[in-house]
Amino acid sequence: MPRVNTFKVKVQTGQQGMSEPVHFNFNNHKLPFENVTGSAESGKVFEGSFDVNSFAHSLTLVGPESGKWEIEKITIEYDCENEKPYTVHFGRVTLDETTEVNIWQDAPVLAFDV
Amino acid sequence: MNFIKRIFTGMKQEAEPESSVMAEEVEKSTVAEVSQPEPEPETETPSNFPVVRSVIQISAISEGVFPKDSDEVSIKAQPTPTGDQCLFTVNRPLMKGYSWYFSDFESATESSLAEALFCLDDVEVVLVCESTVTVTRKDKTLVDWIPLAKEVGTAIRDALGAGKGLIAEKIISNLPSEEDIREGIQKVIDDEVNPGVAGHGGNISLLAVKGNSVTIQMGGGCQGCSAADLTLKQGIHTSFRKAVPMVGAIFDETDHTAGLNPYFS
Repeated sequence: MPRVNTFKVKVQTGQQGMSEPVHFNFNNHKLPFENVTGSAESGKVFEGSFDVNSFAHSLTLVGPESGKWEIEKITIEYDCENEKPYTVHFGRVTLDETTEVNIWQDAPVLAFDV
Repeated sequence: MNFIKRIFTGMKQEAEPESSVMAEEVEKSTVAEVSQPEPEPETETPSNFPVVRSVIQISAISEGVFPKDSDEVSIKAQPTPTGDQCLFTVNRPLMKGYSWYFSDFESATESSLAEALFCLDDVEVVLVCESTVTVTRKDKTLVDWIPLAKEVGTAIRDALGAGKGLIAEKIISNLPSEEDIREGIQKVIDDEVNPGVAGHGGNISLLAVKGNSVTIQMGGGCQGCSAADLTLKQGIHTSFRKAVPMVGAIFDETDHTAGLNPYFS
């Protein structure tokens, strides 16, 4: 498990948005984002980051306490210790009060052109 | 340190409003007891336990792997962490909607792509899936994929340029239905695989069938087990391919980091 220095998330909301603050779960600790811009309302883009400085075992984006949140796209920029910064993209997912979505992904294995 | 500090700060902030709500509830119930000798049972019980949410796993999508609108054949090679296989992603379809597992040179007859790959010395097994080719090498002691990957890239380009059928017509015309694959694989899981892993408290479930590719998930003692890769490649793959020869790619969508009771930790 790598040590995550910081991560930055960008969430594009689809038709059904939500007005609650966006939370994430890092190693089962629910926390709000920092440096927040935008919102998770319908059609809007939410951006936030967090200085973690800890080892990642699990990282999820938490659904709203009530209602549904339709996500079109999630982009996460990871800055981990001893790794080059890398970006991960996830597609459509709908969250509610019973769900959260995994957004943790290890650094990609080196790929090369042949 | 930042993270730990913020967890405690966050807990404190969250705990305060909850305790004031609790105090309010207690006061209300005391008042209710005085005014009403037989209070009605509470319909909602406040709880300090967090709601247990289910974690949705979605696949990461790759963006900008290849330049857009390029006529040239582009191929990316990505060796697996185990080092015995390498995934080659091509910027055009090789077998649309389906996959095929070529176990040896004989199975590659009339499939120009697999024939070209088996002509390389170190190629043991070839799996073609949509726009990817996964090559397993014979020599498992070599970790440097660059020399072989370059040869594989040239072989894929030559096969695409030759204009012949990449996959044999007899394979394309006899592709099984998803229902046949689902039935066959489910039967192997129920009759052979699950009874085998049950001794270690494990279980395997079939998540999805797309074309002739299947996605499975490992649970119980298999989830997070250090021998899960061995079980998958030498046990599950072998059983599936023996019982259902038409099965193509076998994907494992297990989140091994979330395993609670792995047999070998």
